[in-house]
Order: sequence, then structure tokens, then C-alpha cells
Amino acid sequence: MLSRVVLSATATAAPSLKNAAFLGPGVLQATRTFHTGQPHLAPVPPLPEYGGKVRHGLIPEEFFQYLYPKTGVTGPYVLGTGLILYALSKEIYVITGETITGLAVIGLYIFGIKKFGPSVAAFADKLNEQKLARLEEAKQASIKQIQDAVDMEKAQQALVQKRHYLFDVQRNNIALAMEVTYRERLHRVYKEVKNRLDYQISVQNMMRRKEQEHMINWVEKHVVQSISAQQEKETIAKCIADLKLLAKKAQAQPVM
Amino acid sequence: MNQNLFTSFNVPVILGIPLVVLIILFPITLIMPSNKLINNRLSSLQQWLVQLTLKQMMMVHTNKGRTWSLMLLALISFIALNNLLGLTPYAFTPTTQLSMNLGMAIPLWAATVFMGLRFKTKASLAHFLPQGTPVPLIPMLIIIETISLFIQPMALAVRLTANITAGHLLMHLLGDTALTLMSIYMSSSTITIIIIILLITLELGVALIQAYVFTLLVSLYLHDNS
Repeated sequence: MLSRVVLSATATAAPSLKNAAFLGPGVLQATRTFHTGQPHLAPVPPLPEYGGKVRHGLIPEEFFQYLYPKTGVTGPYVLGTGLILYALSKEIYVITGETITGLAVIGLYIFGIKKFGPSVAAFADKLNEQKLARLEEAKQASIKQIQDAVDMEKAQQALVQKRHYLFDVQRNNIALAMEVTYRERLHRVYKEVKNRLDYQISVQNMMRRKEQEHMINWVEKHVVQSISAQQEKETIAKCIADLKLLAKKAQAQPVM
Repeated sequence: MNQNLFTSFNVPVILGIPLVVLIILFPITLIMPSNKLINNRLSSLQQWLVQLTLKQMMMVHTNKGRTWSLMLLALISFIALNNLLGLTPYAFTPTTQLSMNLGMAIPLWAATVFMGLRFKTKASLAHFLPQGTPVPLIPMLIIIETISLFIQPMALAVRLTANITAGHLLMHLLGDTALTLMSIYMSSSTITIIIIILLITLELGVALIQAYVFTLLVSLYLHDNS
């Protein structure tokens, strides 16, 4: 970036001198290259999973391998014994009360490690495993959630394809409803018209009946009026005579 | 090597250079913080222990008291590791020196007292008078409570010093006894060695318990005054 700044500064300072030979500092900085090597810290080299092997918990295995060509298997042990005896006999290491206490402490530590070591190691492994299991479960839950979302999306898309069934059913329903309404209205209209016509008919019937009655009453009245007293007497006398005659006939008949 | 019984409590100096600084700084090298998710077994166990202790200790405190978590956790780790490392043969235990324990106890106790006086003046002064005391006893009780307050740092320091020193002394004595008895009575020497083993077991317990007690009491003072 600095080289760009220098180049642009030189260009603005001397716009007429666009010659490459005059842009000394800019050229020098442009030719110096930065950041072309590989970065050293990445990728991080993998760490070994287990530590180096030790024998008796203290001495690395490489020491025994180092002495093996010259002194064989028992070499390091002889060396160790010799050193200890040398220190004791020359009183480089003095046996005091502290020695007894030290031996007791170290004996107790070795006993404790031998007895409780595996269970503690298993506990530590379980701790790590639990941590990993929790994270793994979170990851699986997230994956499952996304998978469920994808499946639901696919189902929704499939449903979209079958939408026309729904529309057909709805269309049919609406057509049926409209048909029913139309027929109902038609029927109502028919009933209304029939009602009006019935009214007219009943009015006519009533008028005719009234006229008939009126005529009958008028005829009867006039007939009754027209029967004068004289005709009435003559009719009654004739009826009596006819009745007497009929009675005689009736009397005569059963005798026969 | 050891002229008398108390040479193991001399502060180690080589050619005038005090080694005690290195000895005090050593335990911190045993705690390995790492930024990896899965560590080796030792680091996992340390992390689990730290979590357990911290949760147990700081549950009772308010938010203000919990700002002391780092201090208290460092305190208990320091004391516990120093005590445990002092049990190895020929080791020097810094916590046997009264100077160091006073240096730990007085500033912490004073900090809790001053915090209480500054933020909750009335409540911290009210601690001098327990509830429900009969009226005639009040002056005497206040004097007694004041004395008890000022004895707290001394008690903290001297408790730790005395316990650890006593344990170490007893172990040295018994070791010398076992050595001397070995040339006279082999069997009583064996019995003495068994006693030493039992004592070491006790010492391990005492080492951890003392660390715990120290920290617990500081935490208690903090709780009263936070």
C-alpha cells in the first residue's frame, strides 16, 4: 500500500514526468516484494497423542535403548545400583531420619498411584468424553433440525402440486350452491305468481257465488210475492183434495 | 545433613541467594491452563477440580463478593499445592513460615473489613453486637467483639503455620526415632514406620483441609462484609 501511495504522490508532484526512470523511490519499493514466504505457524503441527514411554515411571525408554548395544538388557540397572551404592558408601547421601520418612512417603505415593491410578484415569477420560458427547449431541440436534425443516419444505412443495384438487372441489361446491339458490328463487317466483292467480280465482268464485245467491234470493222473494192469497187458498185446497185421493188409493191398495 | 530438628524450617539460601523465591514460585508451574477443547488427563482433572471448588466456594456470595473469585481460588490452590509439595522428603514448605502466612492473612482480612466499612458501614458495625443481648452486657460485649475482630488475621496465620509445622515436626521426630530404633529393636522400628505411614495420610488430609479452612474463613469474612 505504501508503494502505491509513493507512486501516486510522485505522479501528482510531477505530472509531466510520467517517465519510469524518474520514479526512483516508487520503483525501488515496487520491486521489493513482501509476504511471499509461507506462514510458519499455520497449519499447526499435530501434537502427539501419548507421551514418551517411561520405564518405572521415571526413566525414559530411550536411555535403555541407548545403553542396549553396549551393555545389553541389564546395563542400566547395574549402572543405577552402582551409583546408589557409591553414594551410600561414600556418604554422599547420608541416611538420616529423613530417609525413613522419605521412603515411607514415596512408598505411600506408589501404593496410591498403583491402586487408584486406573480409576482416576478412567474418570478423566470420562470427563473428556462427556464434553465431546455434549458437543456431538448439539451438532446432531442441529443437523436433525435442519433435516426436518428440509423434509417439511419438500412436503409443502409436493402439496402445492396437488392444490388443483382443492380448487376443483371448491369450484364444484360453489356451482352447486349457485344452482340451489337459483332453483330456490325460481320456486319462490312460481309460488308468488300462483298466489296472485289464486287470489284472482277465489275472487271470481266468490263473486259468482254471491251472484247466485243473490239471484236465488231474488227469485224466491218474487215467487213468494207473486203467490197471491187467492192462489194460495186454491193451491192448498187442491193439495188437500189430492192428499185425500192418495189416501183413498193407499187405503185401497193394501186391501188388495 | 540435619544438625537439629529445626533445620528443615530454615529458609533455604545458597551462597546468599534466597532460593525461597523459586520454591514459592514452583507450584504455579504445575497448573497447566490450555486453550484446547480436549486436554490430557492431568489438565482435564485440574479443570474439573477448579470448576468444582469454584462453584462450591462462590455460591454463597453476592455479585460483589464474587469479584473475589479469582483471589480465593488462587489462594486455595497456592496453599494446597505448597502444603502437598512440602510432604515430599527434603522439601521446604513456605507455609511453615509465619511471615508468609501473615503476609497472606492480614491483607485479605483487612480488605474484607475495609470493604464492609466503606460500602455497608451500618451493617458491618452492627456485627459487633449480636442480636438479643441483655442491655447491661452491651459495653463488655462490644469490647469482646472488637478483640475478636482484631484477632482474626492472627488466628488465620497462626493456625496455618502451627498445623503444618506441627505435622512436619512430628514426621521428623518419628523418622529419627525409627532410625535410632532400627539398631536396637527392629520390631518397634517397624511399628514406628507404620505410625509414620498413618501420619503421612493424616498430613495429606491436614494439608488440604488447612487450605480449605483458610480460604473458607476469608470467604466468610467477605460474605459478612460484602
